[in-house]
Amino acid sequence: MNDKSIISWKAAGISLGLLLILATALVKPLGVSTQFVVSDAAILHQVAPEFAEDNTYLSKYGEKTDWGIGYGWMLVLGMLVGGAITNMLFGKKRPEADKGSMPPMWKQNFGESRLKRNAAAFGGGVLLLFGARLAGGCTSGHMISGISQLALSSFIFGIATFGAAILMAKFLYRKRRV
Amino acid sequence: MTLLIGFLIGCAFGAILYLGGASSYRRILGTLLLKDMAIIKLMMTAIGVGSLGIYLLDMGGLANMSIKPAYVWGVLVGGIIFGIGWAVSGYCPGTCIVGASEGKKDAVFTILGALTGAFLFSLAFPVLEEWLIKPANFGQVTMESMLGIDGIWIAIPFSAALLFTAFFVLKDNYE
Repeated sequence: MNDKSIISWKAAGISLGLLLILATALVKPLGVSTQFVVSDAAILHQVAPEFAEDNTYLSKYGEKTDWGIGYGWMLVLGMLVGGAITNMLFGKKRPEADKGSMPPMWKQNFGESRLKRNAAAFGGGVLLLFGARLAGGCTSGHMISGISQLALSSFIFGIATFGAAILMAKFLYRKRRV
Repeated sequence: MTLLIGFLIGCAFGAILYLGGASSYRRILGTLLLKDMAIIKLMMTAIGVGSLGIYLLDMGGLANMSIKPAYVWGVLVGGIIFGIGWAVSGYCPGTCIVGASEGKKDAVFTILGALTGAFLFSLAFPVLEEWLIKPANFGQVTMESMLGIDGIWIAIPFSAALLFTAFFVLKDNYE
């Protein structure tokens, strides 16, 4: 279970810290969750323009002609491209247990059903973004960037998130000793 | 130009998360079950380095800070909902993007769920704003503004404590 990731946590942590400093110097800190709203707004302005106009939250993040695609959205697009390129270059070096759409650890605890895994992934996703938008950020914007800026709100978010996530993980895996 | 910078920073961000194993279900759940310390050590190191760097930049007036307002109830409740979603899916909004980029179908389902969750939030926003966002909103408060001393003098010991904990204190805990 302890087979290593491709680079160590030290290398990844230091480079992520340096990247955050660079981003803060050039434009603004890292953040992801807002872009899901920007994407929603862009889609809804096409398929249901009246609804999108009337929705006070969505209308803050884009208009019919101006989709609000800026630095933040390009950053998320970059993550998709950067992840894909890195996967092509280094995918073979990745630990076996991290490959594929069905985590072995999940399979051991919850069985073979792909439907179950995908349903959990979907439901988890709903909670992630509902929570992130209520709190005003996610792991990158609140925890990494926000705590680095010593923001009170991000410390509260970090404690609430880790507290709830640890309890939920312990509950989900209560039957087995990992 | 800003768009290109965003794209390139995003590429590097995605690559770091991928290479560091942050898009791995096993590592995230290992972290939340308090067995595998790699991801928490990665985050502490990033915050330690980032905090020091940002407040050094700030001394020169070069930091483009973005402080999130401290509306206590919304942040607390949102954080709890987020945490449950994190444990259930094994991804966060950033790592599901990276997971999808490496072809993981469960990550794609998390993205679809996330788009749905953002949509549901937009429907609930008027009510939640009254209940959880407007009350007890202390604005863009930081440790710097609360303690009334220059941020760098908080960032130095804070960063030292985080790096010390990551490098010397936390150890993996397998039975």
